Amino acid sequence: MNAFSSSKASGKKLALFLLLTPFALHLFFLILLPHLEILNISLRERVSYGIYKFSLMNYEAFFTEPLYWRTFLRTAVMSILTTAITLIVAFPVAWYIAKVVRGRTKGLLFLACLIPFWVSELVRTYGWMILLRETGVISNLLQWAGLAVGPVEMLYNDATVMLGLVYTSMLFMVVPLVSTLDGMDDSLVEAAYDLGGNGWNALREVVIPYAMPGIVSGCIVVFMLSLGNYLTPILLGGKDSLWFTDQIFTQFITRFNWEQGAAFGVLLLILSSLIVWLGLKLSRQSFSETMGR
Amino acid sequence: MISSIPQSRAFRGTYNAYIALFFLFLIAPLLVVAVFSFNDSLFPSLPWMGGTLDWYFSDTPERQGLFHDDAILESMVTSLLVATGVTVLSVLLALSNAFLFERHDFKGKSFLYSLMLVPLVIPGVILGISVLAFGSNIANNVEDNWGIYLDFLRPGLVMVILGQFAFISTICTLVISARLRKFDIQLEEAALNLGASRFDVFRTITLPWLRPAIVGSAIVAFLMSFENFNTTLILVGSDAPLTITMFDRLRQGATPVLNAVSVLLMVVSGLLALISVFVQRKEPGQ
Amino acid sequence: MTSDIDLSCTDLNKNFGSYQAVDNVSFQIPRGSFFSILGPSGCGKTTLLRMIAGFLEPESGGITIKGDSMLGIPPNKRPVNMVFQHLALFPMMSVADNIGYGLRRRKMKASEIKKKVADALERVGLPDVGDRAISQLSGGQKQRIAIARCLVLEPDVLLLDEPLGALDLKLREHMKVELKKLQQAFGTTFIYITHDQSEAMVMSDQVAVMNNGRFEQVGTPQELYYQPDTPFVAGFVGESNHFSGQVVGRNGDVVEVKTASGQVFHSIERIDTNLAAGDEVELFVRPEMIHLSFEPENKPENALEGEVANILFDGGNSRLLIREATTGAELQVVQPQTTQFRDVKAGDRLYLSWAASQSHIFRARGQSQTPALMQTVEE
Repeated sequence: MNAFSSSKASGKKLALFLLLTPFALHLFFLILLPHLEILNISLRERVSYGIYKFSLMNYEAFFTEPLYWRTFLRTAVMSILTTAITLIVAFPVAWYIAKVVRGRTKGLLFLACLIPFWVSELVRTYGWMILLRETGVISNLLQWAGLAVGPVEMLYNDATVMLGLVYTSMLFMVVPLVSTLDGMDDSLVEAAYDLGGNGWNALREVVIPYAMPGIVSGCIVVFMLSLGNYLTPILLGGKDSLWFTDQIFTQFITRFNWEQGAAFGVLLLILSSLIVWLGLKLSRQSFSETMGR
Repeated sequence: MISSIPQSRAFRGTYNAYIALFFLFLIAPLLVVAVFSFNDSLFPSLPWMGGTLDWYFSDTPERQGLFHDDAILESMVTSLLVATGVTVLSVLLALSNAFLFERHDFKGKSFLYSLMLVPLVIPGVILGISVLAFGSNIANNVEDNWGIYLDFLRPGLVMVILGQFAFISTICTLVISARLRKFDIQLEEAALNLGASRFDVFRTITLPWLRPAIVGSAIVAFLMSFENFNTTLILVGSDAPLTITMFDRLRQGATPVLNAVSVLLMVVSGLLALISVFVQRKEPGQ
Repeated sequence: MTSDIDLSCTDLNKNFGSYQAVDNVSFQIPRGSFFSILGPSGCGKTTLLRMIAGFLEPESGGITIKGDSMLGIPPNKRPVNMVFQHLALFPMMSVADNIGYGLRRRKMKASEIKKKVADALERVGLPDVGDRAISQLSGGQKQRIAIARCLVLEPDVLLLDEPLGALDLKLREHMKVELKKLQQAFGTTFIYITHDQSEAMVMSDQVAVMNNGRFEQVGTPQELYYQPDTPFVAGFVGESNHFSGQVVGRNGDVVEVKTASGQVFHSIERIDTNLAAGDEVELFVRPEMIHLSFEPENKPENALEGEVANILFDGGNSRLLIREATTGAELQVVQPQTTQFRDVKAGDRLYLSWAASQSHIFRARGQSQTPALMQTVEE
């Protein structure tokens, strides 16, 4: 009996080891070490070819050059705004899908929410360009309806960038909201009414607290996607869109200044981690429970 | 609110109108992209010059249709290659991770689980530059010390695959873990009790149970890889995948051939999505 | 007189498409009573309850509470509160916040709410759980909190939608007594719906038996048990042995019935007073009404002979399963716990008899809706 159980235990150990190996390889070589490398690069200054010394120069450059930190702040603020707008737009839709419609309609509406996201962001953004540009569909419609005298250029401004970001993030807000709201028993809302509540405070005291895990996970993903977005600000915002990822790209690829680009990358990573952490703290949710669902 | 709570007619009307507007908002950009791929014009915009299939099949210098545009066709093949590589790697790692986290207990498990989720909150561009920098660092060291050239660690398809694999595998892990978590372990015990070996049990009981999740996550991985832009843009070498080629074209000034490519992508993605819905619906035991 | 009536429903109708869920139901509930609606699942009892709560509007008919019509009044403005089937306690609030929810809606002062919540917790016997999360409560505690959350609002009527269904047997037995005591202590009118006859019988002052959207009978538990008005009630409430047959004659109010297999029974008619020869009838005899003996009785009104097929031992509730000699049909008979019958074995021959007044006879209703022979209706 002892021999049996010990062989079983060692078999279990072997299995654990075999499963841990690919996980560890992936984690170390594709996530941890590359990011440490970036941190390392960001903290050095090139003296001559192949010779580097430790320096905070790249971070100093960020704080002393207004273009850099202003772009950084602007990206953060616009991403937060995008997240808020996406939440407000998506919540009624998620409620409609989870609670108002039933059966086949429900499945179809949910699928309809997903469809736009099975094509690439590039195509979606391209669609908005066709709609919004000076010679675009909406401009023509406005002129036809007599609401505008000449062509209207709706591309290349901040509102359009936000519109694009909201559009592109919508799915990642609707899905977690629908799945948490779906899990909510209707009788909770009925109970709130039965005890004298009305729509507003049932929403505030019962529905929103219940949906908090979904709201937080949706907000985190949408915020991350907006912050890290590159395509939408470039294409809809034009040359002067000033998105921070564009700065990183410019430093890394165009100017080949990896040290500066790496410092920007680290800063962006710190900002995003900070805001995610703050979001989790404020809503008292845990990271693995929020993301790992 | 819910149906059992009385609501005014005006409220319900407004709500329904809002939902209709929302879906119009969702579908509008895709619709115009599709419609203008059939416009008999050199530009993807109004005025409407009549319908044509030129942007799919024509082969004149002025109008090179999608199926005669070698650069686009080549980059499609590149994208297919990359997506296949990413899918295979991601699903294999996801399977392994799912069993690791759902079936084993070890020290620091919850910490490692959080680390596993971290790629979800790393912006794609940063993931790209860090993988690029790390690859270059290794390649440089190997080159300096041993004189061996590790070209695959320089920007190119291998790096694109690795960069995408880094975060897509996490999403696959979540999908497969969720399914494995719902598995009743007694089914395995019953199979063992009926004389099956450990491997038999895995092959005949556990794997079929996971099949919908495996197919689903493979489709998700494939599509995510195919449409990835941020990470790819940083890591790409001379062979550009489709999204990069399209991006370059878009910046040079778009022709309706881009609309035609988009329509093709929509059709293929739609088919894949239908397959995944079909597979999920046939789920055993649900 | 009307002032003593808390809830009155008149000619209520509700259908979903072509399905008539509630069919012309009328009843009145006196103040402070425990009223149960008992019926199989799908009989319309939940629909009825939700109409009273305001989550469904009736197609026609009236609902008045303390004389005020409730038609068109939204659920949050009705003087009724509901204990939901799965309780619907708000999982993200503490116990005290759950109980205080309705009071906060009334814009009551925080200090007053606190006092009322503490008082309600005291009255349901859980004075120390106010700060706990809902998930930290046991099943029985959750029940009591759900009830406290409603009673703190002092509703005119408390509606309970099978709240004991999810509990295990022991706890359910305990909560039956507990609920009855709570109701008496608060003096609030309770309307309790259930498919479990024992819950309804133990707790209620009045029980309505509901079937296919209609009330079959309203009465005290004793009336339902001893004087069922319809074959459905006779079969659904308690256990019965059931026979079908034809009237062959009568002597005063004693009707003579012959079954298809030729047995002849006598029963006193109570509901249908004009049964005539040739009428199809159904006959019910409770297991405890059947007298057992080892020797044939002297001229009983109803007599059968059979042998013991099985002994269903259950302490004081033990039954004998007796296979009737001529037809092979099985009957349940209460096993008397006397020295004479305690040692009965399978195969023993026994004589069964009962008086005409101890069985119930009903005119057969076309397609018989009654439970099959000997069916025990519990879950």
